[in-house]
Amino acid sequence: MPPTQDPFYAGLGQAVRIGTELLAALIVGGGLGWVVDTYLLHSNPGGLIVGLVLGVAAGIRNAYRAAQQWPQA
Amino acid sequence: MEESPLHPFELHNYIPITLGGLDISINKAVIMMWVVVGVITLLMVKASAARRLVPGKLQSLAEMLVDFIRGIIMDTMGKDGMKFFPLIATLFLFILFCNLLGLIPGTYTVTSQIIVTAVFAITVYALSLLLGLMFHGIKFIPAILIPPGTPWWLIPLMMPIEFVSQVARPVSLAVRLFANMTAGHTILGVLFGLAISGGLLIGWLPFAFTIAMNGLEVGIAFIQAYIFTVLTCVYLGDAFHLHGSEDHAH
Repeated sequence: MPPTQDPFYAGLGQAVRIGTELLAALIVGGGLGWVVDTYLLHSNPGGLIVGLVLGVAAGIRNAYRAAQQWPQA
Repeated sequence: MEESPLHPFELHNYIPITLGGLDISINKAVIMMWVVVGVITLLMVKASAARRLVPGKLQSLAEMLVDFIRGIIMDTMGKDGMKFFPLIATLFLFILFCNLLGLIPGTYTVTSQIIVTAVFAITVYALSLLLGLMFHGIKFIPAILIPPGTPWWLIPLMMPIEFVSQVARPVSLAVRLFANMTAGHTILGVLFGLAISGGLLIGWLPFAFTIAMNGLEVGIAFIQAYIFTVLTCVYLGDAFHLHGSEDHAH
């Protein structure tokens, strides 16, 4: 059982976070854009493009936020 | 012989039950969840039965687990977070034991079903929203959508970005656990397939790899349960001290 203070496990835990953080925001952004396109505005493919751009921005923002919580080296 | 490595993830109903149009049949995953709950209950009840001042083996294991979870909460949420200890301890122990017991050949990894991890993630996220609304009232919604210190002309851009990043929280929580568990077990399945079809001459090599992978998977089981718990704490903590992730960076 790794204690929280163990820098190896804490660091590994933080590192594995970043990748999914980027991916999930991209999925959500693209998905929302696609929903807007298909069901709400019929603006194919404008919503998808805007959604993906927002998703990339949100993903980078989330990853940045996760990295801010790292202990200062 | 030629079997899909994804075959072990399929669920078949043992006892089909429908209740008001809902399919609540008993399948392998349901039985596995009962087993996990049973194992945790038995372990914890037995460990806390003696309550010796100098703990025995089982009691020190339970004390270590409790202390570990307490450490996570204190690190991320501070003292007021201890109110959530029962919830967070339950989540951590359930996910950890699902991951670990799923590694025993012949059992089922409940956390490799995205519906299970999604329910956990959505519950946690909904709870964090509810807590935020309870503590800060309706001004909680603009507060999470507009980061502090945003110039007014950036607000129309930041609001959709923050909205997407908020919605991404439960998605990333659910997908991370599900993907890690599914990927690990798929690799094990592929390696076992190779070991069986390789025969004695070359099959020992992938078989040796499955043993190494199993060791790695034990580590992943711990780390994924740990990450899920830490993020639960971070999201719940964000709800009561607003913008906590920026102010309390440690």
